[in-house]
Amino acid sequence: MSLRNRELVFLIPALILTTLGFALVYTQKSSALSLTSLTYGALFLVLFLIAHIGRRFLAPEADPYLLPVTALLSTLGLVVLYRINESLALKQAMWLVVGLVAFLLVLVFVRDLEVLRRFRYPIGILGLLLLLLTAVLAREVNGARLWVDIGPVHFQPGELGKILLVIFFAAYLVDIREVLTVSTHRVLGVPLPPFRYLAPLLTIWALSMALMIFVKDLGTSLLFFGALLALLYVATGRLFYVLVGLVLFLAGATVLYFIFPHVQARIDVWLHPWRDPSGKGYQIVQSLFALAAGGLFGRGLGQGYLKFPSGKTIIPNLETDFIFSAIGEELGLVGAFGVILLYMIFVHRGFRIAVRARDDFSRLLTTGLVSIFALQAFLIVGGVIKLIPLTGITLPFVSYGGSSIVANFILLALLLRTSDSVARKEKALEQAPRAAGKQQPRKPTIEAA
Amino acid sequence: MDKPLRRLFLFFALLFVALLVGLTYVQVWAAPKLKTNPSNTRAIEQEMRVDRGLIYSADGVELAVNHQEGQDFLRDYPQGDLTSPWLGYNSRQYGRAGIERLYNEELSGQSGLLGITSYWDQLLSKTHQGADLKLTINMKVQRAAAEALGNRKGAVVALNPKTGAVLAMISYPRYDPNKLDSIWQDLNANPDKPLLNRAIQGLYPPGSVFKIIVAGAALQTGTVKPDTKFTDTGSVMAGGFVVHNYGGNTYGDHDFTTAFASSINTTFARVGVQMGADTLAGYAADFGFGKQPPWSLGGATSSFPAPAGMDKAHVAQASYGQGEVLATPLQIALAASAIANGGRIMKPYLVDQVLDRSKKVLQQTKPESWLTPLSAETAAMVRDLMVKVVTSGTGTRAALNGVQVAGKTGTAEIANAEPHAWFAGFAPAADPQVVVAVLVENGGTGGSVAAPIARAVIAAALGL
Repeated sequence: MSLRNRELVFLIPALILTTLGFALVYTQKSSALSLTSLTYGALFLVLFLIAHIGRRFLAPEADPYLLPVTALLSTLGLVVLYRINESLALKQAMWLVVGLVAFLLVLVFVRDLEVLRRFRYPIGILGLLLLLLTAVLAREVNGARLWVDIGPVHFQPGELGKILLVIFFAAYLVDIREVLTVSTHRVLGVPLPPFRYLAPLLTIWALSMALMIFVKDLGTSLLFFGALLALLYVATGRLFYVLVGLVLFLAGATVLYFIFPHVQARIDVWLHPWRDPSGKGYQIVQSLFALAAGGLFGRGLGQGYLKFPSGKTIIPNLETDFIFSAIGEELGLVGAFGVILLYMIFVHRGFRIAVRARDDFSRLLTTGLVSIFALQAFLIVGGVIKLIPLTGITLPFVSYGGSSIVANFILLALLLRTSDSVARKEKALEQAPRAAGKQQPRKPTIEAA
Repeated sequence: MDKPLRRLFLFFALLFVALLVGLTYVQVWAAPKLKTNPSNTRAIEQEMRVDRGLIYSADGVELAVNHQEGQDFLRDYPQGDLTSPWLGYNSRQYGRAGIERLYNEELSGQSGLLGITSYWDQLLSKTHQGADLKLTINMKVQRAAAEALGNRKGAVVALNPKTGAVLAMISYPRYDPNKLDSIWQDLNANPDKPLLNRAIQGLYPPGSVFKIIVAGAALQTGTVKPDTKFTDTGSVMAGGFVVHNYGGNTYGDHDFTTAFASSINTTFARVGVQMGADTLAGYAADFGFGKQPPWSLGGATSSFPAPAGMDKAHVAQASYGQGEVLATPLQIALAASAIANGGRIMKPYLVDQVLDRSKKVLQQTKPESWLTPLSAETAAMVRDLMVKVVTSGTGTRAALNGVQVAGKTGTAEIANAEPHAWFAGFAPAADPQVVVAVLVENGGTGGSVAAPIARAVIAAALGL
């Protein structure tokens, strides 16, 4: 089967899941099947068919698994949101449309990754501005300043900002890669690059600290720092940077812990949720209760105890930060494992693209994007199961939230674009085997664009 | 760059594996503890959503039903206080008691009996439904018992001696489970303890109803025969203690049958002392004293003193149910059922069937025997003694037209208060369908107070 048709085939389970899921939840609510489930199923079919056809034309050689995995995750999110609150599901469906439009636009306009590399500074500045915008304009929700209101739309600029900064750093690290790996000093037998080349590390460290202080967002800060550290590591191949980075981050976080109450509160709740299970520890404790109630096979879709009779969700922020708890309760350990496995597949496919990529920028860009994605999934799932302190970030493609959906579809588009160009270059190399040895794949000479 | 990439992927893979492990810990390993955590109100809230099983009596009267408020099902008890001693209650605030507590798994559909059904219900997204209970209680008998007892502190137990099926069990004072919210504080503060089911939780000196057991022991051991002759002088000395008859009566020459029918304490003291503490204690144990009531409803354990510590005076008093002998009304009913059922005591039970809503029987209680203290021959001899009690002895007020009633009265004397009135009996004597035990706290004499109550209950049970 060709790669493209494989993608089409893999979209089928997602289609069945949506239709069945909506049908199940709908019968729960009104004890009769209506057209709603079918409508959602049809909507989904049209959306992802468009995405599939768009990708077929715009990035024909791209990885065939990423889009179906995304489809599964986003439809699962849609079904669970529909279960929690119908109007949220409707909005989320609209955001999925917007996300898919953004996905197609990226594929249309970014035909060649070199474009991104060329515009690295504008992109970096825009990314920084978006984060600054958050710090300055955002209103505080749940102790973190993430939301910016412009007219009727409110959005989280940080979601897009993260991706832009990853693009910038990938390009920037390609520029200075050679210098970074050249060691001139040795301290206690450890080869050290000139001190000024620690500058990138210090910059990202300062940025993530600033995020924690001004945006009051532990999650984005960690995510941002982790992804850029991963980039630095892959670019240089030196664990030294990772170690220095971790020490710096821990030192900074420790200092902030004692200075800022919002950081302190998050850590304390994580360490001692049972001291105040109906107050500060309420959210995480209820999340654990929900997961425990789900057990191995879950209570069944639509059967969980998610809301009070008043309609308020038992776990605050269930539709965003804690959507994984709802999945764990209704679909059980089995369903929750399934979701984590989907993220693992996504990350694995991402790394495959990075490994196959022949030029530094493609590699680093892919690494950065996949790292953001993987860390985001890890941080929020780890947070709601109390493995790590809770950081209020969204579960990619599943949580409710327009900015997050759109940003992640852009991320997906960039991955598929890289994947496509990598595959084309491989094809070109196969067709010209003698040239393969000599040619530096840095400059894409045989780009079909 | 391949090596760092692979390492990074490995690192992320490890993070995800950590998530899988952490998730398994929460959802499987720690789940039982989390579910029972005191701050976890999910279980209660969830159970409110279950269409809890209905409970009805053997004669089809609805005893516990539900009404819906939003998604929640709330319990109603159509028979009010009439059923509270054993039915108990199911309340969000106050928890559960009685059948509602003991059969909660069945009623809330967790027992596995409904396993397959509820799985399909879940898939077809129907309301989760619990299993129904059909009890052995006959509401006609229950109501008759409640009316006959009236507003006197005490208890009545009626059961089928051949199966152990409880036909009626009432206790006074009791409470209306529909009004728990308004009466809860009073229920707990009230010195008369309305929450106590006196039929199984109340321990009383049995007085002369205990002579059923002593007579059984004396006849079975051959210590006496029904026509063994005795002479009463109004009192007898036993180990320095003077035994009198109730009311200071003197009976002169009489046989053992008369001693039983007229409840002559001096004769029983003699017979008891002759048998000795060990024999008495052995028979008491054979009749169920010192043993947990053999059913899930529980109750207090009736007791007979340890024979090693008993002197003659103790033995003499124990022989007519005084001293340190303590019994629940249920225990007395079970002792009487040995006489009614050819020497064998059946285990009592209250839940006849567990069924689903379409009346399909999921579980059927089968009668089981518990103890066999007497041979059939001895049981028949004691039965004849008990018939005499009702035809010409202390229990004539239990007699019914057209049906031969067998019984024994008891008037348990207690210091500085009116005696407890007892009656234990069964009918028809030749083929017993119902055994009744009646206790009225500080009610007076068994013959005048308890016997008429037993009569009314027997009449209701036999459909007279």
